[in-house]
Amino acid sequence: MALDSKWGVWMKDKLGFILAISAVGFAGYMFTASFFIYLITLFSWDKVIPQLLSGRVLAALLISVSSSFIVAVLAVLVGIPFAYFLTHGEFKFKSTIETLMVDLPQTFPPVTVGLVYLLLLGPGSPVNLAFTYAAVVIAKFYVSSPFMVGFAARRFREVKARGFDLIARSLGADTRHLLFRVVLPMSKRDLLAGFSLTWARAMGELGATMIFAGIIPWKTEVIPTLVFNIAQTEPNTAIAAAVLAETLSIVALISLRRGAKERR
Amino acid sequence: MKSLRLENICKDYGNSRALDHVSLAIEPEEFMVVMGPSGSGKTTLLLTILGALKPDEGHIFMNGESIDNLPVEARGIGYVPQDFGLFPHLTVRQNVSFGLEVKNIPRDIMSQTVERMLSFVELKEFADRRPNMLSGGERQRVALARALATNPSILLLDEPLSSIDEGTKSDVRERLKSILREAKATTVCVMHTPEDAFILGDRIAVMNQGQIIQISTPSELLRNPKNRLVKRLIASMYVQD
Repeated sequence: MALDSKWGVWMKDKLGFILAISAVGFAGYMFTASFFIYLITLFSWDKVIPQLLSGRVLAALLISVSSSFIVAVLAVLVGIPFAYFLTHGEFKFKSTIETLMVDLPQTFPPVTVGLVYLLLLGPGSPVNLAFTYAAVVIAKFYVSSPFMVGFAARRFREVKARGFDLIARSLGADTRHLLFRVVLPMSKRDLLAGFSLTWARAMGELGATMIFAGIIPWKTEVIPTLVFNIAQTEPNTAIAAAVLAETLSIVALISLRRGAKERR
Repeated sequence: MKSLRLENICKDYGNSRALDHVSLAIEPEEFMVVMGPSGSGKTTLLLTILGALKPDEGHIFMNGESIDNLPVEARGIGYVPQDFGLFPHLTVRQNVSFGLEVKNIPRDIMSQTVERMLSFVELKEFADRRPNMLSGGERQRVALARALATNPSILLLDEPLSSIDEGTKSDVRERLKSILREAKATTVCVMHTPEDAFILGDRIAVMNQGQIIQISTPSELLRNPKNRLVKRLIASMYVQD
């Protein structure tokens, strides 16, 4: 019996060791990819730092941040009604529709999305929005907004499963009261998480934006397309742009999540 | 408070019949306990009365008028679920006033009603607390106050004592009884524990496999169980507890 238990402890320790090594390996892999750019900046700061304030980088940053913010706000405005409809609506093929609207856009190759929009809203179509600021927003919205809908729908379903909608309705609540007094206040944290991830995903979007909006400096060039465009010819400017975008994403994600945690 | 009558209610979930021709008449101000083993259809019955589930057959009448086509929010039925379902982001006072707010009751009448309900359930000093700062018994009283504040025609309680710990259960049960007696509420209450059912119920409806197999006063049910099945059910539920 004593031997059994010793073996048990040894096995547990061995497994614990393997788990720890795997966890450290994964963290190292992710950490290296995320922060290697900072390491390069640290070692060649004299070449990279001056590029941070170059007009082209700042313009790309402004377009990136503003378009991503518009995308995140639009995602909240249309994502909440859609998530509410998914949760409370009575209709067939609900899970198929959710897969098509939430999961598919996250796995769809962004370059294909850009091509679809180029054919749909590009030269030759009645409304030509290709290579404009609107194209940046449209392309980013398709790829990023499902994060918002996904977060909202998951949380709305939880609230419903715990019976809060039924209780509110038994007390006389209509849709307005149910949404604004129960569902949204109880989903604040998840909606903020959805907003921040939508924004961050939009900041990093490359493929769809590149094809549909093009890479026009000062007009449609965003940080990822700038990095893609000049990585070979002006590596220091590309690194500076990447550092700026990544820092902004990290700060935004951490502060939004922290804010959401405190509000809960 | 109103009377409630169920006529031949049937409800199927796929191929399984959850309610099988259930008929039940509850008098105004009566406390009707629905008792039966797990899966006997008690909660389905409650949700059907509430309007959350639509029966496949049968009709429901309140004071003789059909409520079959009324949605949950228009039935005027108070509902207290098993875990009391207090809104966690609202204080006790805000929880109690919720039903009055959504009905656009004038502010002065609303605050008077809320204060009266909080005094009624003896929770005035907890008015500004959130539900997570209350005990099980206190949460139950807030949920009752919230449901009673809107002056419902019928009150539905789903296992109100199941999440109360044994140490305080008899005290909570007595308070529940006196609150509902004083409120003169017509109540349908689902219960799993015969002891609670016998103490609280004016009458008890025993359910098994979606059917009501006996409706009696507690003393009559103990003295004259209709058949061996009722006897066995009561005995088995005592053993389970």
